[in-house]
Amino acid sequence: MGLRDVLLGKKKLAGPARERLFALTTAAVTLDTELGLRSAGAGGIVFKSLSAGEFVRAENDLQQLLDSVATGSGSKLERREDSFGYTWIIVRDPDLEDQVTTIHAVAQGLEEQGFGSQLLAAVFKFDGGKHPVYWIYGYKRGAFWPFVPTGEDQKRDNAEELELKAKLEKELPVEQDLTRWFGVFDAPL
Amino acid sequence: MKRRSYGRDAGLTFRMLLTGSLLGLLYVVFAVVLFQVLSVGLVPMIVIVVGIAFFQYFTSDKLALAASGAKVVERDQAPELHDMIERLCAMADLPKPRVAIIDTDVPNAFATGRSPKHAAVAVTRGLWQRLEPQEVEGVLAHELSHVANRDVLIMTVASFFAMLAGLLTRFGLYGGMFGGGGRSRDNNGVPVWLIVLLVSVVTYVLSHILILAISRYREFAADRGSALITGAPEHLMSALQKITSDIFRIPERDLRQVETMNAFFIIPTSVKRGARTLFMTHPPLEKRLEALSEIAREMGRPVA
Repeated sequence: MGLRDVLLGKKKLAGPARERLFALTTAAVTLDTELGLRSAGAGGIVFKSLSAGEFVRAENDLQQLLDSVATGSGSKLERREDSFGYTWIIVRDPDLEDQVTTIHAVAQGLEEQGFGSQLLAAVFKFDGGKHPVYWIYGYKRGAFWPFVPTGEDQKRDNAEELELKAKLEKELPVEQDLTRWFGVFDAPL
Repeated sequence: MKRRSYGRDAGLTFRMLLTGSLLGLLYVVFAVVLFQVLSVGLVPMIVIVVGIAFFQYFTSDKLALAASGAKVVERDQAPELHDMIERLCAMADLPKPRVAIIDTDVPNAFATGRSPKHAAVAVTRGLWQRLEPQEVEGVLAHELSHVANRDVLIMTVASFFAMLAGLLTRFGLYGGMFGGGGRSRDNNGVPVWLIVLLVSVVTYVLSHILILAISRYREFAADRGSALITGAPEHLMSALQKITSDIFRIPERDLRQVETMNAFFIIPTSVKRGARTLFMTHPPLEKRLEALSEIAREMGRPVA
């Protein structure tokens, strides 16, 4: 936001920042070679479910979108609703790059249908450490943050998360404000 | 019963007195210059400022609680927290303050209220959940020492003239803009509003530096009070280390849960660390830990 916009009070609502998602594919090499972490074969995008009024129209559009993305990419797409009232589109594909591309396509499709502001996060799961590692991409922030749940209650391995940040922040846009590193517990990945 | 202030530290007392008198001196100079230059409007001005000061003083607890989003909780909503505060109040010979909880994951706490009878102590959910009970006790005892030392009163009095100077700066600006700058004591001299403006700005800046210095000394005094109330400064030390560490900035809650109440993001939780100590309300962590381990040695407690 430039000085002129500040002076004139023209703050725009942040649209979803989709493009930086691709940074994860380059970071995958470091994750593998330095930390031994590999994609667990699933990634997902989570967005706020639609209100009843929009539902019928959006429902058709969403199904069409998923069908077209699925045939285009060859990935397997699944749809889930969670207990928080959010909808997940889960992409099952062994290749991380395909996961990212497919999720990007879904995000783009949702945005074209006017649901860009409903996008919450994309979540990618990695295996190979003591606990499964999730990289969460916040669409509002346009940045990634690590999330390592230990499996018991809502506990997370903060030390491991900070190490991931230190190792990856050169090649991945990592959220610098740690107070925004909210977890996504029980992600259906 | 005569109540003594918590703990004695001659050096600290001296620095507080010195800063206090410097502040007083500054205000005397300020007042003298103003009376020389401004000959009118003194009474209405003082009425306004005193009015604002009183308003601030009497509403300080409610303002602070509202501004931080703290909710006062009764005993049945947080029985353990109430128990802990009651025990500490008995130790410190204080009436029990109101207890409030702020719904954030970052561990923190504050005390407010013009007198021990009108005090409130607020803690964040994160403080209660993520620190060990003895550490929470150390932090609560620190806040209760603020109450016992009447720090809200001290800071209100200390900032009284800063407020006056701030108001005058504003009046000076308006005077310059609308009042016609031509009026001056002699026709060739500097306009009155400009003198008032400059003096006020200087007073404002200087008094702020001194006020912050006093605030830092009060923090040391409250740390000392906490050590004496709990008898175990090491717990406050580990609590301070935890509160300032990065790990405890990482939230425990779920993204989807927070997004539905995103009003929270309006208040920035991050505090710029870059500012020099001259402009900080709290002393740096190392200094506080140093002072606390000194107290711990005096008390014959183990220091890690």
